[in-house]
Amino acid sequence: MSAANALSERAGFRHQPALAAVRRLGGLKILLPFAALIAAWWAIHASADFSPQVLVSPLAVWRAFVHLVAYGVMAEYASTSLRMIGVATVLSLMVGVPIGFAVGVNRYAAHALEGFLRFLQGISGIAWLPLAIIWFGFTHATTLVIVIYTLIVPIIFNTMIGVRAIPPTYALALRSLGASPLRLVTDVYLPGALPSIVVGLRLGMGYGWRALIAAEMLVRRGGLGDLIFGARTFGQIDRIIAGMIVIGCLYVVIDRLIVQPIENLTIARWGVLRA
Amino acid sequence: MRRTVQALRNMTVHPTASANAKIAVAGFRHFFPTADGPMQATDRVDLTIRAGEFVTLVGPSGCGKTTLLKALAGFIKPSEGTILCDGAPVRGPGRERGVVFQELAILPWRTVRRNIGHGLEIARVSRSERDRTVTRLIELTGLAGFEDRYPHELSGGMRQRVAVARTWAADPEIILMDEPFAAVDAMTRLTLQEELARLCAATKKTVFFITHSVDEAVFLGDRVLVMTRHPGRIKAVIEVPGRAAGRDWESFKADAGMQAITEQVLRLVREERGAAAASAAAVGEAHA
Repeated sequence: MSAANALSERAGFRHQPALAAVRRLGGLKILLPFAALIAAWWAIHASADFSPQVLVSPLAVWRAFVHLVAYGVMAEYASTSLRMIGVATVLSLMVGVPIGFAVGVNRYAAHALEGFLRFLQGISGIAWLPLAIIWFGFTHATTLVIVIYTLIVPIIFNTMIGVRAIPPTYALALRSLGASPLRLVTDVYLPGALPSIVVGLRLGMGYGWRALIAAEMLVRRGGLGDLIFGARTFGQIDRIIAGMIVIGCLYVVIDRLIVQPIENLTIARWGVLRA
Repeated sequence: MRRTVQALRNMTVHPTASANAKIAVAGFRHFFPTADGPMQATDRVDLTIRAGEFVTLVGPSGCGKTTLLKALAGFIKPSEGTILCDGAPVRGPGRERGVVFQELAILPWRTVRRNIGHGLEIARVSRSERDRTVTRLIELTGLAGFEDRYPHELSGGMRQRVAVARTWAADPEIILMDEPFAAVDAMTRLTLQEELARLCAATKKTVFFITHSVDEAVFLGDRVLVMTRHPGRIKAVIEVPGRAAGRDWESFKADAGMQAITEQVLRLVREERGAAAASAAAVGEAHA
């Protein structure tokens, strides 16, 4: 490809934000598997006479999606889910990072807690749902507790690992420059652990998003999980599939367009010297 | 009580430990706890360093050189003995004693400029004054043009220049250096040594410099201390006369006097290596 071509292509992308977003997700090739899936789905649907209670065509799903968007239903359910994951993420960082720090700087606590954190990782957020529903009822509080629980463990764990991976020389050097303990936190431990905290955040948001949808299906107080589980009661296959696609798309957007750029930014400055 | 007695004894051993001593170490012994009980790192180290002096310390690896430096820096508390800095006991690290480490100790997420100015930032020096000092040190250490780079964009030699500049920028009275050029390639090392000699001549710091290179010790030092094998103590002190303003390797190598001193230090160090090998052999035989 000539330079002029590349330039015009880039200029073209600038005028079309949607295409630019696709490119940031990894270029048009990432759309290929989706196209193949839709084609297969369409072929299967066309090959036999399915009842609309079992399988509907991609077109029907698209119509259901347009309908849900047009009536503001999708926006309402999706915004509930997004608000939940947002609030859970902020709270998890506010609580999880300090805990991870406290554990990370204390070798004894780190050894003591490592096994416990792994144990907690084994008990998924969903496994806490029965208890949470008994304690908090069918409320947003229950959903929030489940999502925070799911999010916070990888954040604590990765903050702890990040703090422990900082070469002790960094802190010694700064103490010889007259740094106070607070200064060590702001100038060494926090920036030093940041790449690892971001990794924990990214993992946590992935786990948290899944836990959120599951919790919403049981709690039934709005959110995309509620949307698709509610559609099941009326056998609205088109709505179920439309909701599932939105769940997947929103996760990709959160992960690739928000969290990953933050991760890349920290790695660009931090990571290379770790060896 | 025991400390007092030791201190008195050291006074008699070292009558030179007088008022102009910047650093005075007396009867420094250190033990590290290990699984097999305490491990002795040094054996009764006594030394004094005068203000403005450049003292180098050579010794076989594992003889306790770094332990001594850590105690001077205040990173460890001596098991026995006293360490005085300007007549006052060392209690923890402080900005009057800067440290340059062997391994990477500059912060990878700060640019060259912000790393060098870090000590001044901590000391709340005004931005304009900080910029002035940092720019001067960037010039002195040959880092001009790299001010806004991150450490991972620099070669090993440049990173050590940044570490040296950061320590100098904070303007400590004493600078402790722990094999700062050991991890740098041989050609770069020669340049860095010459630059350090120039920097010291220009700034009149008291420097304590650890190395395992005899050449480096004699090239840089006003005095060279030789340490015995583990557990180390000071075995010999060799004066290196006439450390001129700009020492360079070419004239150093051509100077017969300097070469004689280097030979002398090398012999002293070799004895320790030989002794270590001999004792290891003896242990081997005993086990056989």
